[in-house]
Amino acid sequence: MKATSAELQTRVKDLFEDGTISHFIGYETGSDSLRVAPCFLEGSQEIGRLVWNPVCANNLAKYLLDFKNVPGRVGIMVKGCDSRSVVELLKENQIDRDRVFIVGVPCSGIVDREKLLQVMGISPTQVVAVQDEGDSFLVTLTDGEQRVDKEKVLRDECLVCRYPNPPVYDVLTGETVSRLPWVGDDYSMVKEQEALSLEEKATYWNRELSQCIRCYACRNICPVCTCSECIFDKKAPRWISKANDLSENLVYHLIRAFHVAGRCVDCGECERACPMNIPLRRLNKKVEKDMLELFNYTAGIDVEQQPPLTTYRVDDLDEFM
Amino acid sequence: MQKTKEIQTEFKPKILAFCCNWCAYAGADLAGVSRFQMPTDVRVIRVMCSGRVPPELVIRALANGLDGVMVLGCHPGDCHYSEGNYLTRRRAHILKRLLTYIGIEPERFQLRWVSASEGAKFSAVVKEVTDQITALGPNRWAEKR
Repeated sequence: MKATSAELQTRVKDLFEDGTISHFIGYETGSDSLRVAPCFLEGSQEIGRLVWNPVCANNLAKYLLDFKNVPGRVGIMVKGCDSRSVVELLKENQIDRDRVFIVGVPCSGIVDREKLLQVMGISPTQVVAVQDEGDSFLVTLTDGEQRVDKEKVLRDECLVCRYPNPPVYDVLTGETVSRLPWVGDDYSMVKEQEALSLEEKATYWNRELSQCIRCYACRNICPVCTCSECIFDKKAPRWISKANDLSENLVYHLIRAFHVAGRCVDCGECERACPMNIPLRRLNKKVEKDMLELFNYTAGIDVEQQPPLTTYRVDDLDEFM
Repeated sequence: MQKTKEIQTEFKPKILAFCCNWCAYAGADLAGVSRFQMPTDVRVIRVMCSGRVPPELVIRALANGLDGVMVLGCHPGDCHYSEGNYLTRRRAHILKRLLTYIGIEPERFQLRWVSASEGAKFSAVVKEVTDQITALGPNRWAEKR
């Protein structure tokens, strides 16, 4: 994460001044040093608000939809995963490529707020800044500095991230990152789950999904959930009852997982937004793994690639008679 | 004199079959007129194409307490709309694996190819699936609270 906030600000200032963009979506400092908030700029006057640091977790791609009917060209800063979300939006013609200007920032991992606080045994108010130092983060506290291993405090999806560099961008700020050293088996979590017996699987998911309060935060934050009327909000036919019980929760989570099938880029936003800490990535990853194994497809890499469930091959696996 | 109705003790499954209008539904018809014997636990819903059956319908049916759901369509290559069954096949692969992943028996969801001339195959499929699901026992999804 070589690019700094200052570099980014200069770059975006130039874009505003030469008229390339009319709006910019980025990050600004949040309520404490371990949080950022999305920031929407309409000109270079407030450019100083923009920040780029290892706590910029939000996936900003979804905000592009809010600019669909806004005249001008909107700039957006994207990490690897965010860029893949933008690719998915482009693929589905949700946004117009000519009206989006993508500022790519190579990313070498984002801090997991909860993990950091736990590992270091501190409260958020003690943190002044977090800096990327290659294999570790340099955390500046109110009383001195401390180094902490990335592997201990990175977000779960960053630990298996294969695309630290944005696959699609107009300009790149900062140097590209080579393959992240800590990245192991992407699907170890899924394989572990698959190895369980049917009974154990059911027990696991019944326990996890019975916690769901059906706030729909995972849907609302998902960058690929773009339907203007969601199937779960429909009144006729009503696909899902308002009752918050396990049976309906299972329906919700299965349908949600299926609706992002072949589109999910594992940005981890659903899990971050979930107030009940339901392991949603465990479901999404399973579908992602199947897509890769069955159809050799990875979402969010190439705008020209046909989404897997809208196409077919005559010689697809046929396990049905 | 009317006999008192015998109290049913053994498990009789409820199975839903989505039959494609052009192949499987005609196949079911043929099985009927040919008087092939088969279990009566299958309820048929006619759809215009197996591609009409989205995973939401299957999930909804299972959640509503059906013990099994079958989707019956034309053989690959024979789809009346050229490609509906190929798309269904892709979705079915993913759905079946997803259901298994959260702990639902894979046999509860079946996709089969039955052509309009395969009345015998229709009755064989119905028999086979009914046997499998009877062996599994009732689907407890709807009772999960």
